[in-house]
Amino acid sequence: MSVLRRLWAFPKSNVERTAIVLGCLILLLALVGAFLVPFDPMKIDFRAKLQAPSMVHWLGTDGSGRDVLSRLLYGARLTLASTFAVIIVVVIIGCTIGIASAFIGGAVDNMLMRLADIWLGFPPLILALGFASALGASLEAAIFALIFSWWPNYARLSRMVTSDILSQKFIASADALGVPTHRKVLHYIIPNAMDVMLIQIALDISAVMLAISGLSFIGVGAQIPAPEWGAMIADGRSYVSNGWWIVLAPGLAIFITAVSFNVIGDMLRRELDPTSRRR
Amino acid sequence: MRYVGQRILFSILSLCVLLFITFLLSHVVSGDPAIVAAGPNAGAEKIAAVRQEMGLDRPFLVQFWIYCSNIVHGDLGTSWFTRQPIASDIIRELPPSLELVFVAMLINLAVSLPLGLLTARYAGSKFDDIVRLVVMAGAGLPIFWLAIILQQVVAGQWRLLPTAGRLGFENRAFTGATGFTLLDSLMQGRLDVFADALAHLVLPAFALTLLFTAVGVRITRTAMISEFRKDYVVLARAKGASEGRIMVRHVFANGATPALTVFGMQFGWMLGATVLVEEIFGRPGIGRYAVKAVTQSDIHAVVAVVFVVGLVFLFSNLVVDIALFLLSPRKHARA
Amino acid sequence: MASLAPTSTDDRPLLEIRDVSVALKTGKRTMVSGVSLDIRPREVFGIVGESGSGKTLLTRTLLGLQDDAFVESGRVRFNGEELPVAGYAGRARKLLGHSIGFVPQDPFSSLNPSMRIGKQITEAIYLAKGWPMGAERTREAAISLMAEVGIPEPALAFNQFPDQFSGGMRQRIVFAIALAQDPKLLVADEPTTALDAITQRRVIELILDRSRRHGLAVILISHNLELLRQSVGRIAVLYGGQLLNVVASGDIGRSTVHPYAEALFDCIPTREKTLADIRSIPGEPVGAGFGLRGCAFASRCPYVVTACTTTDLPRNGGLTPSFSACILGRGAP
Repeated sequence: MSVLRRLWAFPKSNVERTAIVLGCLILLLALVGAFLVPFDPMKIDFRAKLQAPSMVHWLGTDGSGRDVLSRLLYGARLTLASTFAVIIVVVIIGCTIGIASAFIGGAVDNMLMRLADIWLGFPPLILALGFASALGASLEAAIFALIFSWWPNYARLSRMVTSDILSQKFIASADALGVPTHRKVLHYIIPNAMDVMLIQIALDISAVMLAISGLSFIGVGAQIPAPEWGAMIADGRSYVSNGWWIVLAPGLAIFITAVSFNVIGDMLRRELDPTSRRR
Repeated sequence: MRYVGQRILFSILSLCVLLFITFLLSHVVSGDPAIVAAGPNAGAEKIAAVRQEMGLDRPFLVQFWIYCSNIVHGDLGTSWFTRQPIASDIIRELPPSLELVFVAMLINLAVSLPLGLLTARYAGSKFDDIVRLVVMAGAGLPIFWLAIILQQVVAGQWRLLPTAGRLGFENRAFTGATGFTLLDSLMQGRLDVFADALAHLVLPAFALTLLFTAVGVRITRTAMISEFRKDYVVLARAKGASEGRIMVRHVFANGATPALTVFGMQFGWMLGATVLVEEIFGRPGIGRYAVKAVTQSDIHAVVAVVFVVGLVFLFSNLVVDIALFLLSPRKHARA
Repeated sequence: MASLAPTSTDDRPLLEIRDVSVALKTGKRTMVSGVSLDIRPREVFGIVGESGSGKTLLTRTLLGLQDDAFVESGRVRFNGEELPVAGYAGRARKLLGHSIGFVPQDPFSSLNPSMRIGKQITEAIYLAKGWPMGAERTREAAISLMAEVGIPEPALAFNQFPDQFSGGMRQRIVFAIALAQDPKLLVADEPTTALDAITQRRVIELILDRSRRHGLAVILISHNLELLRQSVGRIAVLYGGQLLNVVASGDIGRSTVHPYAEALFDCIPTREKTLADIRSIPGEPVGAGFGLRGCAFASRCPYVVTACTTTDLPRNGGLTPSFSACILGRGAP
C-alpha cells in the first residue's frame, strides 16, 4: 500500500523516529512478550517478595514475590490487546454509522450527529461503572463500556469526510455513470478517509490505553491478579513506600506507550492532514 | 431567544432518554434486584414480598412511571450498603467532586488559553516545539499514576503539601451550607479553613488536570492558528495594531469559541475521571461512591450516579452552549 | 471615463523604490527582482499584473505585512526616511497606522467578524492618534467618516457587525478604516475584484475623490488593466516578478508600449475594437520567481529575438515618468 511507503518518509526529527521505534517495539512485545518471560508472571513466592531491581529480577519483585518484568511483558498483551479490540470495533461501528448517515442525509443525518455529539461528551468512566455493575467487573466489561462510549468519535469523523467527498463534483459524474453505492464507498470514500482515520487511531491508541488501565486501576476492568498494567499499579500501591518499582514500572510502560503513539499521531497529523499547514 | 428555547427543549428530551436508559440499566442486571434487596438469607416468601414492595411485579412501563415520579420527588432509591436514601448520599458526595473539577478546569483554562494563543502566534518557533513536546508527554501520563507519584514525592518526601483528605485533622469537623468547602469557608469567614481546603486540593487537581490541559493547549492552538491566518489579522496589522493587541482583542475572541466547546466537554470527562484521584488522595467524591457501589453490587446507587452525572453533564453543555450563543449571537446563529 | 487622476507637481517623491528584490524566507528564492519606482505625493498609481506575477507579494513585503518573504536588496525611502534592508519589516510596519494605509483584497474576510464596525473604525483612529478627542468625539468622527464613504445610516451602522453588510459596503468600511488614519499613501490590493461592475466603479470613484480632496497618494493593484487605464495616472506592469513597463495610462492603446502591456491591452474588449482586434496571449503565464536570464515574457513575445533571453534587462535607473524594460527598446520614451 502506498500509505506504508509514504509512512517511511514521515519522521522529521529524532523524537519522532524514537517514537516509531518504540511503538513498533511495544507492539512486538505485545505479540510475543508472553513467550519471552524469564519468570512465571503469576507464580506467588513470598520468600522472594519486594526485592529491588537486580541482575536476577531486572525490575524487581512485587508484594507477592512475582517478577515484575515478566508480569509487565505478559501484561502488555492484556493492555494492548484490549486497546486494539476497542479501537477495531469502534472504527467499524463508528464508520458504518457515520458513512451511512452521510449517505442518508437530511434529518436523520442531523439527528444522528447531534446524538453522537452528546454521546461523545458523556464521561466514559462513569458509563464503564454502569456496565461493570451490570456485567460484573472484568476486562470484557471495560472493553464493552469503552466501545459504547467511543464510537461517536469515528461516526462523526467518517461522516464529515464522507459528506465532504459526496459534495464534490466527481461524485456527480460517478452517479451519471451509474456507479453503485458500495463501489462508491469502497473506492472513493475509504481511500480518502484513511488518512484522517489513521491520525485519529494513533491518538486513540494512547487515549484508550489510558482509559483501560485507569478502569483496571479502580477495579472495574482487569481484576487483580491479572498483570494488566493498570491493575498492576493498583496491586502495587500498597507497597509503594518500600517497593516503588512495582508502581513505577507499569506506569512507565503505559507512559512510554501513550507518549509514543501521541508523537506518532502528531506526526501523522502533520503529514496527512490537508488542512494543517506545514510548519 | 428561540435558540435558547430549542436548546432547553433538546436538553429535556435528552434527559428523558437518559432516564429511560438508566432505568433500563437498572433492570439489566446479573441478578434479581429483589433478591439483592431482600438480603442474603431471605426465603422465597420474603423475596416475593420485597418484590411486591419494590413494585417489581408491575408492568414495565408502570415501573418506569413510578421511577420517574420518584426521581422528580428527589427519591433516587435507597442504597442498600449505606442504608440511606441515595439522594442524600449523592448530595453529600457530589460537591467535593465538583469542587475538584472546578479547580482543575480553572487551572486548565488558565494554562491552555494563553499557551494556546502564544504557541499559535509563534507557531514553528523553538518555543512552540518545546511546548509541543511537553504537551505530548503530558497527554500520555496516566492520571492515577501521576497522582500516586505526586502523593509519594511532593507530599510524602518533600512534605510540601498534604498527603490525603479534604481538610486537615484540625478541621475535620467543618461543615457548611453548600458542601463546597471552599465556598463554605469563605462564607463563614474562616480563611484558615479555606487555605487548608485549597492546600488539599492542589495535588489532586493538578494530577487530574494535566492530561486535559495538554489536550486543551492543543485544541486552543489549533483554533487560534486558523484565526491568525485570516485576513482581518492582516488588516489589523495594517492599522498599526501591536501583536499583543491583535492577540488579545481580535484573535482570542474569535478563536475562543470553538475551543470553548471542547472545554465544555472536558468538564464532563473530568467529572468522570475524578474517581482516579479520589481513591488515591482519600477524598470523598462521587467517583469513589460509585466504585464502592459497583463492588457492592448496589445497582440502584450506580444507576443513580450515572443519572446524576448525566444530569450535570447535560446541564454544563447547556450552559456552555447558551453562553457561547450569548457571547456571539451573529456567528452562532449562522452556524 | 477619462483619467481623473491629478498630475503631481510636487517634486520630491513620496515613495522611492530602487532596485528592490523580494525573496521568500524558506529557500531564499528571489521572486521579484530589480524593481525601481517613484510614487509622487497625491499621485494615483496603478500596478497591473496577472495572478502570480508578484504584485501582491511585492507590495505586501514592502509594507512589512508578508510574513514569509523579505526584502533581499535595494533601497526604499518613504517621505525622505530611509528603510534599511536589515530589519526592514519592523521599520516598515511602524509606518502603518499613520503614514501608510493598506486595504487588503477580500472585503469578506478583512473585517473582524465579532467586532462591531464602529469599534473597528474607532480603533483605527485610536491607533493613529491616541484618544486626544475623547471617546465621544472619536465616535462622531468615525460616523462622519462612514457617511463620507457612503455608508447609509452611519449612526445605526456603527453598532452593527460586518456580516450585516454587503460586499460593496464592507469594502467601503475597510476603506473608512484605512482613511480614518489619515495616511499619506493608500495601498489598495485588488479593491474591486470581489465586487460587481457597478460597485467597482463606485469604489474607484470613492478612492479617486478622496485622493483629490485630501491629497492622498494611492497605489491601486489590480489584474484588470482596463480598470486601471480608466482610473490612474501611471501604470506599472509586472510579469514574472519583473517590472516590464511604467507607462502613462493614456498611452496604452495609443502609443507604443512594452510588448507585454500591448498584448495585455489586446486582450481587452473595448468599444473601439472589433472581434478581430482582440487577441489572446499564447502560452502559459510565467509566475514570479522567474530565475532565468533575460526577459520573463520572452517565451510568449511576438517580437522576441535571441538577445531577449541572454541580455540582462535594463533597470529603471533614470526613473523617468515612463520606462520600458524591452531590450528592443519598444515602449521606451
